[in-house]
Amino acid sequence: MNVNEIIAAARDGLLLEPEAKSLLSALGITTTACYPAAEADDAVRIAEQIGYPVVLKAKSPLLLHKSDNGGVELDLRSPGAVTQAFGRIKAASSAIDASAGVTVQKMAAKGIEVIVGVTTDAHFGKVMMFGLGGVLTELYNDVSFRLLPIGEPDAREMMASLKAYRFLAGFRGGPPADIAALVDIMLKVSRAIVEYPAIAELELNPIIVYPRGATVVDARGRLDVRPFN
Amino acid sequence: MDEFFNPKSIAIIGASPTPDKVGFNFVDAPLTSGFKGDIYPVHPRASDILGLKVYPSIEDIGKPIDLAVIALNQYASVDAVEACGRLGVKGVVAVAGGFKEMGEEGEKLQARLVEAGRRYGVKILGPNTLGMINTHADLCSVFYPLKLRKGGASILSQSGGAGLSLMHTAADEGLGLSKWIGVGNRGGLEFADLLQYLSYDDRTKVIGAFMESTEDARSFVEIAGQAVLEKPIVVYKVGESELAKYSALTHTGTLAGPHKLALDAFGQFGILSVHSCHELVSVCKALATSSLPRGKRVGILTHTAGPSIIIVDELVRRGCHIPPLQDATVRKVEEIIGKNPPVVLKNPMDVAGLGFAAEPYGQLAEAMLSDPSFDILIAVYCLHKNWRFPSAELVAARAKYGKPIVACYVSDIEGVKGDREILSAGGIPTYTLPEATAQAAAGLVNYAMIRQKWGSR
Repeated sequence: MNVNEIIAAARDGLLLEPEAKSLLSALGITTTACYPAAEADDAVRIAEQIGYPVVLKAKSPLLLHKSDNGGVELDLRSPGAVTQAFGRIKAASSAIDASAGVTVQKMAAKGIEVIVGVTTDAHFGKVMMFGLGGVLTELYNDVSFRLLPIGEPDAREMMASLKAYRFLAGFRGGPPADIAALVDIMLKVSRAIVEYPAIAELELNPIIVYPRGATVVDARGRLDVRPFN
Repeated sequence: MDEFFNPKSIAIIGASPTPDKVGFNFVDAPLTSGFKGDIYPVHPRASDILGLKVYPSIEDIGKPIDLAVIALNQYASVDAVEACGRLGVKGVVAVAGGFKEMGEEGEKLQARLVEAGRRYGVKILGPNTLGMINTHADLCSVFYPLKLRKGGASILSQSGGAGLSLMHTAADEGLGLSKWIGVGNRGGLEFADLLQYLSYDDRTKVIGAFMESTEDARSFVEIAGQAVLEKPIVVYKVGESELAKYSALTHTGTLAGPHKLALDAFGQFGILSVHSCHELVSVCKALATSSLPRGKRVGILTHTAGPSIIIVDELVRRGCHIPPLQDATVRKVEEIIGKNPPVVLKNPMDVAGLGFAAEPYGQLAEAMLSDPSFDILIAVYCLHKNWRFPSAELVAARAKYGKPIVACYVSDIEGVKGDREILSAGGIPTYTLPEATAQAAAGLVNYAMIRQKWGSR
């Protein structure tokens, strides 16, 4: 599907993980694609196809904070592990949403987690936020903002202005993260927000960035569903 | 908009013969500032206020009115805007509070006031504003009668009190103002409209703004982004804490968003952010007085170490560089103060007792300005009963090398007043505190960097 089709198909104005990732893929951004699994057997079959280790996640508009509600099972390495995880997610999510689904995706390799978020501020309009993943970002309020659209210098400044930038640039002998890959993601998102004003919020959280490349591991969005008149 | 700030005639609706009342002080204010146009106080019964003829109603004035100050309560203010509109008044200062900042009822009342203005094409400043000042029209139209020094800095303020703080600090700092505008609830004229006006105003060289929060923030920064190549814009944005945000809502009717977002957005569009009223005045004074440095490398000359250490901290915090002296400069300095001096020759250059006399101090300033490592010089000197400030020397050095100088004269305000004028005429802003000096120099550097970045886009 192209971006317009994804937007048109979104019910209740929400882009859950699969739709949000489809949208990002349509923009040319690398994601860990997720596939719906109706039963545990489906989940195992998908895992066999895409290869272990895999991640199972609940899919429901009532479960936006999946990992806080037993809705995420990481690093599953066998058919047995997938089957058991499927059961646990179903049990946890059905208490909140009886029609919650389950998706399967490849487990991404370890790297540095970052967040790119877009929101619509009441005073400034469409803005992008950048920060590193994890609780310290929240604790130290170490995030940067720019009004959209942004250019490449803005994207680089957004990263360089953070206290945690040294972590990205190669801290204590660690290899530097692929800043250019992050710049590419930020600019693609920025262009999309201008081209598709219906997108009110979009959160790429986390993006895992490596010495070469970056992958969006989870994402969601919200459309502005105010009627046209 | 120009008529609004340069009226030929003003009516004061709600003028009062009692000095306790706001309405009295709106009559006193233009008299105090030496306004040359016509002043028409309006009061139903009084016949004379401060020697001016009083009219029972605005309709009785019978002459064209450019600007009306409405010093009535919030309900009567709405009707007064109507009356002004019918008479063809071009602009209104709506002073009363009790509008949007009071919640839903007030918001409806404000909508009626704004609509009345819109229907007749009357420009409205406020409601909930102290008023405005245009020194170049000798016009004080706030209810604190003042005669301010004329100059090139204009101030937009979302608060009367903070705006007064800026005015008085500017006076203490010897900074002349052009316009002072209390934006209040921004029912009619918005922050962005006023910024647009000031950006085209020939009498405004630098724009300072005190901001709590505003719905038209996007327009504000976009207009700023267009204007900053022409003139600097310096903003003090408050509302970092949650309680401060709530106070802003009940003050001028707009709840503030994330503070970091606002500061980042300002930076993105080339607005300089400052973090106190005093810093706002210091930076505006520097930008109104001095030329711009070509880069961010600061040299510091002093005869006392402490202030220079404060200055270094403040400069580094704001992104300035403090490079070492070049060898050739060290040799020049040794020629002035002698070989093997009892001080370490580095940047900041603290020459201690060897820098007490004005003549060698001036030679040392020249030696540092001649160093290609420095784009700008900070000169520290302490007030003394028997030694004079090196002002003539600094002015001559600045003229000779064409690099900006910011002076830190450690002194009280009285002690520095005379020399401050000499330096200012020579393009050198002077401060008594090391922090203010560094903030001012950093303001020059960071605006220069914005100009370079913008110019290359």
